[in-house]
Amino acid sequence: MRMTGLAYKNFKSSLRSYLALIFSQAFTIMIFYHFQNIIYSDAFSVLKGFNARNIKSIVEVFSLVLGCFMLFFIGYSTNVFLTRQKKEIGIYVFMGLSNQKIGGLYMLETAFTGMASFLLGIVLGILTTALFQMILLAMTEIAVSIRFWPSLEPVINTAIVYFLIYLLFAFKGYVNIVRSSVLNLVMAAKKNEYVGQKKWILLLKAVMGVGALGFGYYLAVKEGGQEVMAYVFAAVVFVTVGVYLLFGGLLPVIFQGLAANKVFLYEKQRNLWINNVVFRIRKNYRTYAMVCVLILCAATALATGFAMKYRYENIVNSHDIYTFQFLTVDQKLEERARETIQKIDPIAYHSQIQVVFFEDSPYGVLAYGQVERLAHEIGIEFSLPEPADQETILLTFMNLMSLLNIQERILVKVHDREYEQIAETRLPFLGGALQEKISFYLVSDREYERLSSLGQEFYLYSYKLEDLENFARVEEATRELSSIEEESYTGRISTDPQKIREEIEWVKILYALSIFMFMVFVVAGGCIMFMRVYNDAYEDTERYRVLQKLGYDSGVLKKSIICELGVSYVLPFLIMAMSSRFSVHALEKMMYADLLQINVASVIIVLIVFLVFYGLSVMSYCKNVRLV
Amino acid sequence: MSRKKVLEIKNLVKSYGTKEIQAKVLKGIDLTIYEKDFIAIMGPSGSGKTTLLNILSTIDRPTQGTVILDGQDILKVSNKELSKIRRDKIGFVFQDYNLLDTMTLQDNIALPLSLNEVKGEICIKKTKELAEIFGLSDHLKKYPYQLSGGQKQRGTVCRALITEPEIIFADEPTGALDSRTGRELLECLSRVNEDSGATILMVTHDSYCASYAKEVYLLKDGMVQCKINKGNSRKEFYDRIIDLQAAMGGDLLCE
Repeated sequence: MRMTGLAYKNFKSSLRSYLALIFSQAFTIMIFYHFQNIIYSDAFSVLKGFNARNIKSIVEVFSLVLGCFMLFFIGYSTNVFLTRQKKEIGIYVFMGLSNQKIGGLYMLETAFTGMASFLLGIVLGILTTALFQMILLAMTEIAVSIRFWPSLEPVINTAIVYFLIYLLFAFKGYVNIVRSSVLNLVMAAKKNEYVGQKKWILLLKAVMGVGALGFGYYLAVKEGGQEVMAYVFAAVVFVTVGVYLLFGGLLPVIFQGLAANKVFLYEKQRNLWINNVVFRIRKNYRTYAMVCVLILCAATALATGFAMKYRYENIVNSHDIYTFQFLTVDQKLEERARETIQKIDPIAYHSQIQVVFFEDSPYGVLAYGQVERLAHEIGIEFSLPEPADQETILLTFMNLMSLLNIQERILVKVHDREYEQIAETRLPFLGGALQEKISFYLVSDREYERLSSLGQEFYLYSYKLEDLENFARVEEATRELSSIEEESYTGRISTDPQKIREEIEWVKILYALSIFMFMVFVVAGGCIMFMRVYNDAYEDTERYRVLQKLGYDSGVLKKSIICELGVSYVLPFLIMAMSSRFSVHALEKMMYADLLQINVASVIIVLIVFLVFYGLSVMSYCKNVRLV
Repeated sequence: MSRKKVLEIKNLVKSYGTKEIQAKVLKGIDLTIYEKDFIAIMGPSGSGKTTLLNILSTIDRPTQGTVILDGQDILKVSNKELSKIRRDKIGFVFQDYNLLDTMTLQDNIALPLSLNEVKGEICIKKTKELAEIFGLSDHLKKYPYQLSGGQKQRGTVCRALITEPEIIFADEPTGALDSRTGRELLECLSRVNEDSGATILMVTHDSYCASYAKEVYLLKDGMVQCKINKGNSRKEFYDRIIDLQAAMGGDLLCE
């Protein structure tokens, strides 16, 4: 029989055992295809019109992340199954085949798996693409009609990327086989010995892991001002290392401790599954840690997406507070402005406030009492502390990308005096457009009285149009109200919320992609766990055959499997859930957003996805070890 | 004094294949095993030893005949009950040890009790007692890969004994051992039979191994050819087994 024929026969006969590999690869292909589809979709081209540069860089970053993910995922899954294939085709050693030939056979067999995965992935991708895009568009509120017929570019791009990565790993497997000794080939699946690790090494790892994780958490919640980015970056490193050491040290120590307590171990049928967990965790702790970090990233990515979305909404809303504003020295302007606007469009609401400016300072000064009154007038919740005479509150604006932490309690100089800044607010009391241009300090009413006599006092009259359709006409009509004469100086600020919305529309893409990435990572985490368990079951077939022979009914053995696999899924999940609270909290601080709900929702979604994979794992495990 | 019947087999027939082409492996075997018996079943390859053991240990079902274990016809019970019988009334010793490599020797020995939800303290007590009898007290904390073949096999015997089963089935228990460790194991089995009154059914093709039993059944072509009782001396018993094998035409090949 020719090699191709032999490889094909092998592939066909062991198709069932490679199903997990094929499905997991098909999943990656489907993901990449979906991503490509978004890029080539109509929705995307519409958005591109608004802000091509930002969207291009987002796509580049996400492509890179997704590429890395594919590289890692395909590498991992092929590696998991290499051992198994090695054993099966290693038998040919006895028939006089050289390692090179066996390696070639492996390459051919993998080629069949690769093709099958690719076809399955693309077909699944095409079938789900419309649904997927509809969900994504609905979530981002982008109104575009979707084409149901797929275009060719995504398929070609996916094929190129997938086969390049796949070839790389197939070749790696080939080299591995060629370099293997005969014994290694034949015994590949028999490396099942428990190798105990020295207790003090485990303890050291455990202590270091808890320390690193704790320090990472501390850094994540530490107030940091300008250094907050550095802290967060360090926190990421510490948490990752901590998680790794926790799985490599603390958890083995705990479970070995449980196994050493024989009274506990022998009761409630724990003997079998706790011992299995001790054995598994030693072999699989890297996988668990990896899955844990992966989902942690996913949860954080989701929270980032939502934080951006909230900011986007805040910015749009803050610009939507007023349509026209006049900053003037002329107290009579209010009447004129109101009349001019009302001739064209009714006014929804309006407000007025006094501001003091100094020639030597870029800031405006406001009276606390006046801001409080204004907030009530326009319906913004007001909860700022009242500053004492030597204190002030900074009123600034919401920036989409600023990641600085709030700096409280610093000294600022306004004209002739230094004030202690006791708080900072980004609420749009004076409208987003004005606050974006000028920052203001809120001082006590008494201090304002004093300062107003020292500087130039202005009146700020703000109006909100009832019907934005008339924006252009009102803008035209109020043009003549502006004046640059010193005694009647009037500056006009007009804000078209629609324009702002279009300018930052790309945030929606970021938001949509973050949801996409979240789902990808979470499902990938589940897939990795599933593959691991699938492979473990293959190794455990013999063990369960013995147990059945000894007379344990499948109920008892199933219970043990349920407990053992439960631990494998629960550990990464719990550590992820705990860590995500800290990572999302760090994000909350940087992005001024309340993300607790998103955090909880992401944890629940992970839980559901994990439950599904857990159920599948238990089923496939029982099937693989022939428990009925 | 009448002893309790532990296992009774009547007219056991097992055949494979279709109606047209049938291969009869067991051709009507009758056998009764009483409490405290130590029986060896000998026979060459293909004589039906393993098939018989599989049926007796409820792993396989006969084509015809009855198997009564501890007063219960095991052919008339459900699969679930069969598992229960296997778990509670039968102890197994396999040729290839079959200790679980993920747990220590102590945990392996305690496993049957632990899975039967016996209290932890009792599991520990019994494990230690058995380990003491079989000289394994110093090895309880070791994993199977750290033990010698003989130690592993003695561990298997402990595991089989811990539930105090009605009968122990030993399938070529010395098959994977060298002669010295094999002898040690057989002495252990013999002692367990003598001292604790455990009932043992052992399948072997080795006459030396069989000579440790109290009775030997010689199986050939699916039928019991003859039965020999031990008498007073093991040495003499061994010679008789050898003689009988020779008399049967050398068909029973012994190493």
